[in-house]
Amino acid sequence: MARKSVLQFFGVLLGLGVLMACSLISPETSFAATHPEGVGAGRPMCSECHTTDVSKGALKPYASFDHTQTFVKSHKYQANQDANTCASCHAQSFCSDCHGGKVPMKPAIRLSDSPDRMAPHRGDYLTLHKMEGKMDPSSCYTCHGRANNDKCRACHR
Amino acid sequence: MKRHNLVALLATLMSATAWGQEVSLYGTTMAQMWKSEVGLDKATYTPATQYLGIDANKLGSDNLSLHLFGWGRTDLSDSSNLDGSKTVGYLNFGYLQYRFNQANAEVKAGRFTVNQGTGFEQVDGVSLRTDLKGGFTLSAFGGKPVLYKTVDPTAQKDYDFQRDFIFGTRLGWRIPKVGEIGLSYLQDGTKAAKDLTIPSTVDYTRKQMGVDLLISPAPVFQLRGRTIFDLADHATLPVGTEKPSNIAEHDYTAIVKFGSKVIFTANVAERNFYAYFAGTNLPSLFRQDEKDKYKGYGGSLTVSGTDNLQVIADFRHMNRESFGDVNRVGGEIRYASTEKHYMAGLGARSVSASKTIQVDPTAPGRSLSHTEFRAFTMIERKRLSLSLDGIVQQYKEGNPYLNGLTSLYEVVASVGFKATENLKVSGDISRGSTPVAKDETRGLLRAEYRFGFGKKGGQ
Repeated sequence: MARKSVLQFFGVLLGLGVLMACSLISPETSFAATHPEGVGAGRPMCSECHTTDVSKGALKPYASFDHTQTFVKSHKYQANQDANTCASCHAQSFCSDCHGGKVPMKPAIRLSDSPDRMAPHRGDYLTLHKMEGKMDPSSCYTCHGRANNDKCRACHR
Repeated sequence: MKRHNLVALLATLMSATAWGQEVSLYGTTMAQMWKSEVGLDKATYTPATQYLGIDANKLGSDNLSLHLFGWGRTDLSDSSNLDGSKTVGYLNFGYLQYRFNQANAEVKAGRFTVNQGTGFEQVDGVSLRTDLKGGFTLSAFGGKPVLYKTVDPTAQKDYDFQRDFIFGTRLGWRIPKVGEIGLSYLQDGTKAAKDLTIPSTVDYTRKQMGVDLLISPAPVFQLRGRTIFDLADHATLPVGTEKPSNIAEHDYTAIVKFGSKVIFTANVAERNFYAYFAGTNLPSLFRQDEKDKYKGYGGSLTVSGTDNLQVIADFRHMNRESFGDVNRVGGEIRYASTEKHYMAGLGARSVSASKTIQVDPTAPGRSLSHTEFRAFTMIERKRLSLSLDGIVQQYKEGNPYLNGLTSLYEVVASVGFKATENLKVSGDISRGSTPVAKDETRGLLRAEYRFGFGKKGGQ
């Protein structure tokens, strides 16, 4: 009997919790799933068209998504906070060119016919990484700390 | 995930594509070839790699979709895998997604990558996110972490055992025309090394809290970054050992735009390895026991001379407690014609390691200083595309890693033909010189294709 009462109490509590959570959800319409127009080749500048707008959903100026040199190198912040904005133009497979968890070749080989794209480890990086790794191993950690480290293990046992 | 579970998941997801009203299939087939001669050992490598992805939208409902992507590789001659096997493959992601029409809400189930708060994880599980009233956002994920082979097969057991469950959540608050602040938590594993019946020497678990922010009151200014705290209760340190900081990372970048032509960027970062490397599955390389620290600051200036020309200059100072100071200075010029049919770039980087501590007693510390030059060009004419990419790295004499060389290079030439809107074939040939192969020539053939209705994609 006591057990049934406890279960009923938690059931009611859960129901109230769900109702409360639903009432907190924003009534706004979702951001567009796909960009209505093609953006063409090269690095797009969102603010060229969206000059004064604040992006719906992200509530930030479109300029904060401009694909500048800095954006390309440190896009982790935008991807972290506004993945759904990225998803209106980029399919998940675009991210997997580099961030695949486990990839069969370095991005610079995979994308060797697109030298304009940022692809880590161009040239003989096997030699260079011995120096870069000493200067700042934390820069390697993001991609190779828990994934994409099959080849690291050949030497770093 | 065990192999038979993976096959079952894959078969279920693949069969779901039959319901899709908008199905697109895309892939890249690559064939490579290179030979090597190291001493008396000769080998020929001809790996064939297949990338394959499926996006199936409108699965019964306009909001339900399926996304699959993975790759497989077979060696047609000598094995290019470290374990000697000739076949290898991997499912990068495979998940069902439901996007709600309201509140940017979505649910994912299956194998997916999540970049949320402190974590960048591959998970077999469920994730959800939604916008809340008042500018708040809430997201969470949970499931089994995707495991990778570890360095030591006997330690793999500890690795598998400790990382039994992963959970993460983030609460964000967006203020229009001001920015966003987020608070996140990540827990990877429920059994820390010190809590095992037979304690493991390596702790693969993590408990982290993160604060991320973006302040952008106007398009001309942004400040963004994050701080990560290590909340894990680690094993007791030996008596007399200084307790390391629980702050794993500070990383902040400020961006200022002067008009539409000039962008200035400044960054400062600090990472404590003891906390930052928590949870690595490569503990021999990312060593927590070093209790080392990295500090860096730098900046870049981008000037767009015309709509087509961009000049970038950058500087970075790095300091690693155990290694010393390094300065890096670089510059780049990029040109892109208005229709992007012609692109070119020229860049140089110089790394000065004159104040570093010697790592090899027989070699001077300054020998790690080096300079890099890079140039590329791309041309597209109707269906034909050509590209040429060259990189030269010049090192100081006495560098212990170069087998007596002081200059390394690689040149890659590529020719592509777009047979149809959805099919492109290309071939590369590369020539280079490295400390391992003083003369190296490699060939690569590539076929990229896309069929179906998909409108999205980075390419």
